[in-house]
Amino acid sequence: MAKPSTPTVYLQLKKRVQIPRDKMIKLGDIAHILSEPEWEERLFSLELVLPLPKDGNMLVMDLMQIIPRVKKVIPNVFIESIGLQQVIVEIVGVPKKPSIPLFLLVWLLLFFGSALTIMNFHADVNMMEVQIKVVEMITGKRDEHPYLFQTSYSIGIGFGMVVFFNHLFKKKWNEEPTPLEVEMFLYQENIDQFVVAEEYKRVGMKQAKQDEHPS
Amino acid sequence: MTILTWLIEILLGVAGGIAVGSGVIAFILVLDIIPRLAQLTHSYHKVHWYEGALIVGSLVGTVSDFWNWKGSFNPLVGLIIGLFFGVFVGLLAAALTEVLNVLPILAKRLHMRNYLLGLLMAMIIGKVAGSLFDWYVFRR
Repeated sequence: MAKPSTPTVYLQLKKRVQIPRDKMIKLGDIAHILSEPEWEERLFSLELVLPLPKDGNMLVMDLMQIIPRVKKVIPNVFIESIGLQQVIVEIVGVPKKPSIPLFLLVWLLLFFGSALTIMNFHADVNMMEVQIKVVEMITGKRDEHPYLFQTSYSIGIGFGMVVFFNHLFKKKWNEEPTPLEVEMFLYQENIDQFVVAEEYKRVGMKQAKQDEHPS
Repeated sequence: MTILTWLIEILLGVAGGIAVGSGVIAFILVLDIIPRLAQLTHSYHKVHWYEGALIVGSLVGTVSDFWNWKGSFNPLVGLIIGLFFGVFVGLLAAALTEVLNVLPILAKRLHMRNYLLGLLMAMIIGKVAGSLFDWYVFRR
C-alpha cells in the first residue's frame, strides 16, 4: 500500500459550552470534529484540561492551545479550523435555586419603582393639565377631574406595554423574537466578548512576565 | 419696521418648530416603536403611512392646542382617545431602554430567568396602578 496521505481534521469550535464542575474537558465537548473514521473516537475523547477551582467559572479555550494537543495524537495531522477561534467554557456547579422571597422582593421593587416613574413622568410633562385640555377639546366643557379619560388612559398604558413586549399572545401573533429576547441575547453576547478579551489580556500579561524572568 | 419684526418672528417660529419637530420624531424613532408595531402587524411595507400619521398627529395636536379647538362630542369619545393616549405612553414606557436593560441583569444576577414573565408583569401592573393612584388619590 502506498504511503498514507496526510490526515486532515476539520475543527469547528462551539461558541459557548457548559461543563459540570470537576469534569475533564474533552475535545468533543467543545468542538465539532470531522476526520477519518479511525481517528474520530480518539479525538472526540481527547482530554484537554481539568478546570481548577482557581480558574473561576469561566474558561476560554483558544485554538492555539488545542492544536498542539491534537498534533500529539496524530503527529502529521493537517488541522483545518472552521469558524471561531476560541470557545467559552462555563463551568457550572450545582444550579442555584431561585428563591421565592427574593423574587417577591424584586417583584415589589419593580412594582413600586414602575408606579413611581410613571407618576414622575406625569408630573414632568404636566399630564394632568394636558388631559383636562384634551377632554375640553372633545366635550367642550372643562372638567377638573376627567376620570373616564384618565381610567382608560391608565389601562391603555398597561396594554401598550404588553403589546411592546408581546409576551401574552406571542404564539398567536407571530414567531419573531420580542425586544426583551433580543436584549437578553445582546447582553449575553457582550459578556462573552468581554470574557474573551479579558482572558487574552491575562494570558498576554502572563506571557510577558515569563519573558522577563525566564526560569 | 413692523415688517422686519414680523420676519424675525416668522424666522424664530420656523426655527423653533424645526428643532422641536425633529426632536419629537427623533425621540420616537430612537425608541423603535414603529418597527415594533410594523413587526407585530406584518406591515413593513406600510411604514410610510405610519410616518405620515406621526406628522399629521403632531400637526393636528399643535394646531388644536394653539387655536383652542372645542368640540361637543360625547364624553365616551374621550374614553377611546384616552385609551389611544395610554397605549402610546405604554409603548414609550416599555421601549425606554432602562426598562429593557434592567431585566436581563436581574435575570442573570439574581437567577430569575424563570420568573422573567412575573417581573415583567410587576412592571406593567405597577405602571397601571401608579397611573390610577396618581389620578384618583394623589391629585384629588
